[in-house]
Amino acid sequence: MGQNIRDRLLSLLIQYQPQFVSGEEISRELGCSRAAVWKHIEELRQEGYEIEARPRSGYRLLYRPDRVAPEEIAYHLHTKKFGREIRYQEVVASTQILAHQWAREGAVEGSLVVAEEQTEGRGRLGRSWYSPPRSGVWMSLILRPPILLTEASHLTLLASLGVKQGIERVTGLPIQIKWPNDLLVHGKKICGILTELRGEQDQIHYVILGMGINVNTPEKNWPEELRAIATSLAIELGGPVHRASLIAAILEELEEVYDHYLQSGFSKIKAKWEQSSGIIGKQIVARTPQGVITGIAEHLNDQGALIIRTDRGLVSVHSADVSLK
Amino acid sequence: MSLKMHEIRELIRLVDESQIEEFEIDKEGTKVVIKKTSGRAQIATAPVQETPLAVSTQSVAPSVSAVATTPAVQPTAIAEPAPAPTPASPAVEDEANLHKIVSPMVGTFYRAPAPDADPYVKEGDVVDEKTIVCIVEAMKLMNEIEAEVRGTIVKVLVENGQLVEYGQPLFLVKTS
Repeated sequence: MGQNIRDRLLSLLIQYQPQFVSGEEISRELGCSRAAVWKHIEELRQEGYEIEARPRSGYRLLYRPDRVAPEEIAYHLHTKKFGREIRYQEVVASTQILAHQWAREGAVEGSLVVAEEQTEGRGRLGRSWYSPPRSGVWMSLILRPPILLTEASHLTLLASLGVKQGIERVTGLPIQIKWPNDLLVHGKKICGILTELRGEQDQIHYVILGMGINVNTPEKNWPEELRAIATSLAIELGGPVHRASLIAAILEELEEVYDHYLQSGFSKIKAKWEQSSGIIGKQIVARTPQGVITGIAEHLNDQGALIIRTDRGLVSVHSADVSLK
Repeated sequence: MSLKMHEIRELIRLVDESQIEEFEIDKEGTKVVIKKTSGRAQIATAPVQETPLAVSTQSVAPSVSAVATTPAVQPTAIAEPAPAPTPASPAVEDEANLHKIVSPMVGTFYRAPAPDADPYVKEGDVVDEKTIVCIVEAMKLMNEIEAEVRGTIVKVLVENGQLVEYGQPLFLVKTS
């Protein structure tokens, strides 16, 4: 309840900005007393919002801190399910861990865990993910897809399409997908997607899409070993990106791709992925746990595995680090 | 709930695309047995150290069939009613009494959450239904496999980093 009133209060202030909105109007809109309005204004101030209060004029928003709190995301969000329930924390070990807990407690599809900072952000197979405070989007989305477990790998490919479209919509930057779902700008990584599944036999209990996006990380802050391979949207764009609107855009695009997939299946997603990837038809090197494979990336199969034409014939790859040769 | 038509169709497709020769499922009153009778090359999925290539059996030129350097499982007479020998399981003795944890999808088998971490389980470890025994990965989807039974791990049937098929046994468990 309190959260909801604060969401709406912030929305009002943003709508009126740079004008004043009267205390009377706020209390009418929110259906609460003027004293309660004052209390919520104070809470927002504690979060870093600068709000001017003037007798007979009301309240005016002067400064909005860059936060990924639910009230900030909600203001920009037009989805049916994705991001409609949000758990937000300033600092977490990893949003994946919280999302697993929440999913086990029964979180509904589309529930989102988001944090300003991760102290133990992780990627595939225990690799760490650099997640410094207030500079990126670190979030985990809970899905309960009504599909067969053997088809669940489709989700990682469709996720890359949704996130790509969301980032492109907000920044206009050209994003390329590296198989299966890393996102690159000018050959450097800006987003990784880690998907974790819990289920049994052929039944999926839940799937967590974990996303790490380098948004406003300045170049000087990157650890040395990452500079050559990773970049941020701000570096590529020459200016900061509003993270809460970016999250909203990504959730909208993801929801659309996901709904489309549930209705029409994988074939169109696959075709779109192949167009967007930047590796199909090119000479690549795939480092798999079973060895190194070089050849030409041909297409995806119906599971989303990458088919590579080698001098020994066609080979399908399910796990690999892929790079252009 | 018994098996639905589309589930059976899906099963046939999966078995067809896989390297499994014979498949049997008994689910609440519906029993489905799928056998391949074609003279297709038998493909061993046992640890293949020398051959890094995972050969896709679908949409692939027929000339590119299998590569297996390890002693392949003997193709057995398909008409026999006995349960088909599972690839990669060397012993025969008590296996019938042991529970098999099988892979729910095609992917890469990992015994540990990270290359430098301890394996989830070792032979001799006691597990319960919720114990995570391994990860199977495909397209960066990490599927943490739970034991789903109570018991003791008797044998780990596949190597870390190996490609596993749908339905391939991963562990043998003596249930308790």
